[in-house]
Amino acid sequence: MNEIADPADKSLSFSTPAKANSLTKGVPGNWAIWAAILAEMSEFAIMFIVYFIAKVHHPDLFNEGPTRLNTLAGTSNTLIMLTSSFFVVRAVIAIRENNPAASSRWLWGAVVSGALYLVIKYFEYQWNSAQGLETETNIFYAVYYYVTFNHFLHVGWGSAAIVWVIYRLNTGIYTKEEHEGLLNVAVYWHMIDLAWITIFPLLYVIR
Amino acid sequence: MNKHIKQINTLWIMLIVLTLFSAYMAEKATPGLNSIAIMALVLAIKGRIIVDYFMELKHANVVVRTLMQVYFYVIPALIILVYLFPEQIAKWTAL
Repeated sequence: MNEIADPADKSLSFSTPAKANSLTKGVPGNWAIWAAILAEMSEFAIMFIVYFIAKVHHPDLFNEGPTRLNTLAGTSNTLIMLTSSFFVVRAVIAIRENNPAASSRWLWGAVVSGALYLVIKYFEYQWNSAQGLETETNIFYAVYYYVTFNHFLHVGWGSAAIVWVIYRLNTGIYTKEEHEGLLNVAVYWHMIDLAWITIFPLLYVIR
Repeated sequence: MNKHIKQINTLWIMLIVLTLFSAYMAEKATPGLNSIAIMALVLAIKGRIIVDYFMELKHANVVVRTLMQVYFYVIPALIILVYLFPEQIAKWTAL
């Protein structure tokens, strides 16, 4: 017998009818979070444009700048951000499998990753200070501190948002069928990850 | 393990490998167009994986999907353009 898809099973979609064309299709989470994500991506885009303009005007400072940063700290934080995003995806999969306990465990993994990121960043800033690298050192470090501290704040409140989702998950509010709040925080967290994977090559790798 | 979990696990490992590869390039490769182009490509691939599979936009609304995907064409392209034509771009952006 052929299997017939259960019309109530929204586990693999975000309530998008199969026949909908791609314009009327929905988004993972709700539209409000996507307005926020697009605004944040634009904010980071402005910072990246500032980076590119400063770089062409001060090529020597931007060639030398990354060589004095802690590549190990930057690389570790990239691995941590990517892993935290992976944990968040697994949390979404777990709630779709009707397993809130597993979803909660995956989300705790993401929170611990976020905290670890913040700790590494804190020590990286300390390490920079010890090397005499401050916001006033030159324009490369001014851009570096402005962009990375901005991102640091996003990781902070993003982690807090995940803790809130874990609390809601534990109260039993999210189910296999209805977990839009969890999806909103999930896609927001991926946005924070996307910003970091762009920052990493620009500030630490390219010279 | 279901197919979706397997796919996500594989993509996560790919992201890790790509990151280690660009860190290695940062430390070892001699700066030049080749290494810049590879780093830009790595960023484009990582961005696309996250947008399509982690954010699950691959089959979502075309406007949001396109905006997010275009971001990871534009930034890698800017990396290469800024490397190739720094003086020209400096001239255009001078006050």
